[in-house]
Amino acid sequence: MNNQAIWTEKLVKTYPGVRAVDGLSLNVPRGVAYGFLGRNGAGKTSTIRILLGLARPSEGRGTVLGFAVGREQVAILERTAFVSESKTLYGGLTPRELVRFTRGFYPNWSDDAVGKYSRLFEIPMDRPFSKLSQGNRTKVYLLLALAQGADLLILDEPGMGLDPVVVDEFLRVLVEDVLGEGRTVFISSHQLADVEQIADWVGLIDHGRLLLEARLDDIKNRFRWVTVTGNGLPQTKSPEVLLVATEGSFHKYLVTKDAEAFAAELEGQGATIAGVSPLGLREIFLALVRKEEPCTSGNVGEIAEAVSSPLP
Amino acid sequence: MLLHVNPASGVPTYLQIETQVKHYIAAGALGPGDALPSVRKLAADLRISTNTVARAYQDLERDGVLRTVQGGRTYVGENPGSFLKSERVRRLRPYARQIAVEGTQLRLDPHEIMELVEQELKALEEVNEQSGNLDRETG
Repeated sequence: MNNQAIWTEKLVKTYPGVRAVDGLSLNVPRGVAYGFLGRNGAGKTSTIRILLGLARPSEGRGTVLGFAVGREQVAILERTAFVSESKTLYGGLTPRELVRFTRGFYPNWSDDAVGKYSRLFEIPMDRPFSKLSQGNRTKVYLLLALAQGADLLILDEPGMGLDPVVVDEFLRVLVEDVLGEGRTVFISSHQLADVEQIADWVGLIDHGRLLLEARLDDIKNRFRWVTVTGNGLPQTKSPEVLLVATEGSFHKYLVTKDAEAFAAELEGQGATIAGVSPLGLREIFLALVRKEEPCTSGNVGEIAEAVSSPLP
Repeated sequence: MLLHVNPASGVPTYLQIETQVKHYIAAGALGPGDALPSVRKLAADLRISTNTVARAYQDLERDGVLRTVQGGRTYVGENPGSFLKSERVRRLRPYARQIAVEGTQLRLDPHEIMELVEQELKALEEVNEQSGNLDRETG
């Protein structure tokens, strides 16, 4: 049906009093490093739980590696490795025992990988899991995930409790051994810096809705702050103008493409252009998440399409 | 490691790589036939997606700056600056325009702007000469 690593259509998950996921349509191409970014409580973990069959969607549908979410869950779980945010494993078992316990479930399991990564991450393999530090627990999860030989690695807040040196080692492993093999990495996080480092695609989620999905470099190529002064200037948003803000006598427009043409048009309406400047992921994230109303889901698709189309 | 990227900047990471490779060639630090790290190696060293490095290499190959031989190794092309002159002018024009606009906004007169560009050209020439001398001394 589709060749995406992850695909969802209008996914909804309601809990009493909350719409945790609110009409989410994701397109994660195969072989990319996808940063799934949002604040705590934005709906990231709920989405992942649905994809893995740990929760049932209230509405909508999706596929993981081409297999239907909910109906072909065994096929999905065999090919997908998951590092969860809450590190709850059988506390009495040592990492070595956990490896023995886990390996039988996965057809592509690699004992070589266990040896390699247990050394690289310096994991105490014979100490009970319950006695391990938060960082070492995370490393055990990463070890089990990497040894699965999965086509898709889903990491939910993977950096939790890891020191910068281990994070750096881990990024190298993700690039060389996972992306380098054409596999897909899906990282859910609110830590923009680590994700921005490795991701080539990003999806921004807030209040269960997707604000933006595009190749990161395309965003950087095309998204611009256009800062102007002048009277009677347009204040309306559109797929090309994500945000209009006023600071003192300046109007700032967050433009998703053709910023130069947009600026020229404003100039034609009597505006004085103070500047056209690129912005990083962090600024885009803050600008989009801070405003009261996310742009309507109808617009999001157009934007994602517009910015992901090939460059001229 | 020759290349550095800053993923947090507003400049697309693949463009940072392309710019640096071109810069090293222009400055004589990389010459025809010099090998570049594989996509996988460079991506792993920089901790960035392999797709990002692949995109940069593809662009540079399309421009004739790099060439990839069978087996996947990538080298600096024989004549890395040789793509058509009209194309080269077209590429440079946005930068020239930017210098003109920024310079005028900063209230520099045309002569001062030209002088700055000439200084930069001269500095680049000196770097080239030095690396040329170095080659002769070490060779």
